[in-house]
Amino acid sequence: MIQVTELRKQFGKVTALDGLTFTAPEGQITGLLGPNGAGKTTCLRTIYGLLKADSGQALIDGIDASKQPLEARRNIGIFPDKFGLYERLTAREQVAYFAALHGLEKEAGQAAVQEALERLDMLAIADRKATGFSQGQRMKVALAQAIVHRPKHLILDEPSRGLDVMSTRILRDLLRELRSQGTSILFSSHVMQEVAALCDQVVVVAKGKVAAQGTTEELCQLTGESALEEAFVKIIGTDEGIAA
Amino acid sequence: MSKSVRSPVGIVWRKELKDAIRDKRSVMAAMSYAFFGPLLMAVAFYVMISQLTDPSDVEIDIKGAEHAPALIDYLQQQGIIEREKDWPAGQQPIELVIGETWADDIATAQPAPVTLTADFSATKQRSDIRRIEKAIEGYSSKLSFIRLQMRGLDPRVVQPIDLVKHDTATKGSRSAILMGSVLIFILLSVFFSGMNVAIDISAGERERNSLELLLSQPLSSHQLVLGKAFAASCFAMFGGVLSVVLIPLIFRFLPLHEIGISVAIEWPMMLLMVLMLAPLALFATALQLFVSFRAKSFKEAQTYISFLLMLPMLAVFGVEFARLKNPVLYYLPLTGQHQALLDIIKGEALQWLPLLVSGVVTAIVSLLIIRFIGRMLASEKVVFGL
Repeated sequence: MIQVTELRKQFGKVTALDGLTFTAPEGQITGLLGPNGAGKTTCLRTIYGLLKADSGQALIDGIDASKQPLEARRNIGIFPDKFGLYERLTAREQVAYFAALHGLEKEAGQAAVQEALERLDMLAIADRKATGFSQGQRMKVALAQAIVHRPKHLILDEPSRGLDVMSTRILRDLLRELRSQGTSILFSSHVMQEVAALCDQVVVVAKGKVAAQGTTEELCQLTGESALEEAFVKIIGTDEGIAA
Repeated sequence: MSKSVRSPVGIVWRKELKDAIRDKRSVMAAMSYAFFGPLLMAVAFYVMISQLTDPSDVEIDIKGAEHAPALIDYLQQQGIIEREKDWPAGQQPIELVIGETWADDIATAQPAPVTLTADFSATKQRSDIRRIEKAIEGYSSKLSFIRLQMRGLDPRVVQPIDLVKHDTATKGSRSAILMGSVLIFILLSVFFSGMNVAIDISAGERERNSLELLLSQPLSSHQLVLGKAFAASCFAMFGGVLSVVLIPLIFRFLPLHEIGISVAIEWPMMLLMVLMLAPLALFATALQLFVSFRAKSFKEAQTYISFLLMLPMLAVFGVEFARLKNPVLYYLPLTGQHQALLDIIKGEALQWLPLLVSGVVTAIVSLLIIRFIGRMLASEKVVFGL
């Protein structure tokens, strides 16, 4: 379970997080929905301890990443805002590197890497060097890196950007499968459809605060709108920075 | 999940090394410096030696040769002959003028004027001029011996002191000046060879956007930097070892004995040099990682590092030219290794304690820099450039 309580973060004069509070329970997909610049990436970075909150805390199974970063990171898989591949390594080697960093080496590592590659249907490109990979193939490598150690928590920052329909489907199927295995999944997005299609729970973030929280239906009921998009616009009070 | 069997440092090290070896540019950079540096030196030395030991005749303008045929004969025996070709552009003519009164002066035992006109500051002609002076002096003393003998005097009365020169300069110490410049190549090889790798695994990591994910893995930033530093040091050492092996090899093919220099570096000494370079390689890498982790792109890092390369050059050349002789130099990073290498090449006894101390100091300073980079990477300001 990921618990975020009263998170505040200031960059100079800009308030990125302003008392953000929500939880991402096990076996559920929690969507962090918000316009560009709402503080989604800042929030995720704070959860895995890359940024330090000015106040408040983010707990991963009760562990604060700002105090025990290594312990916290052992239990999470991360698909970051920006991911670059090592162009001279094959897809398999990249995934194996991250498996090794999580303590999976030799036979255990090979097995875990093979499993992740199979799951993402990327055996065909597994032993090719990353140079020349398409955006979708790159995304798959990054996803495989995030799940190779079978983390109990998965944090994804806008995972579907730049993906074609097939890749998006693979991503959705994977997330649903992981959810059924009890993984708590937290992902940020500004794409309405994706959130509506996947999430058990939506946390609408605007200006560093939680503007509303609940299932898609609950949010629609709350605003008296029939579509999530309309509900969303009503909640944050503007349609700026949102993609349908 | 299985238990962690290896330190993350080893995992990072292995991955970075594999990545770097596949990068042809990095491998080429490491090799080319180690190859072309010594090769360049060899060519420079070859030209220098052939100039110093030039056995060809000195061709000069001689005026009034008809007045002193005996002197001309003597000069010819010494390899100084009258010039028939024009002087090449940019070279000052050397001219020897024998006075008209030569025959009379010799006959009446008066000093006979001979004028040597040349640019005495021209380094290229210095050895030529010296040969002419020596030949004239030689002829002069030959004449005075004959004159004294003709007057029934033992010529030795005008030679009250017989200066016997014992040259204590070992062949090794004479070569030291020459070898000083070679040392700089060996020392700098560790700075040049790992450079490309160091940039790629720091600024390159940031440029290709893989730094954020890497820093979010369950290893401390200190372990990460340590693994990376070891990988880049391996490349630096690769270049260092190449130049340590190649430079003595190249000198074997140079006719150094012709200028009275012997350079014989045996295997144990080469091994010692390699051992000395090891902490220096780590030091070089740590400094390079420090500046290039602060850069946002490969290009920016290259700019910083080219400034950084001035540092070892300044230190080594500075000590060399200022003729600093402070004993502290033996204990510091870089200058310590420099002094020890000088001793090895001069064939002097090694000062083991300072050598050991400078090695340890270098390693400690490097590890401190690495620790500092680790702390730097734990700061969000540096990582995200806030």
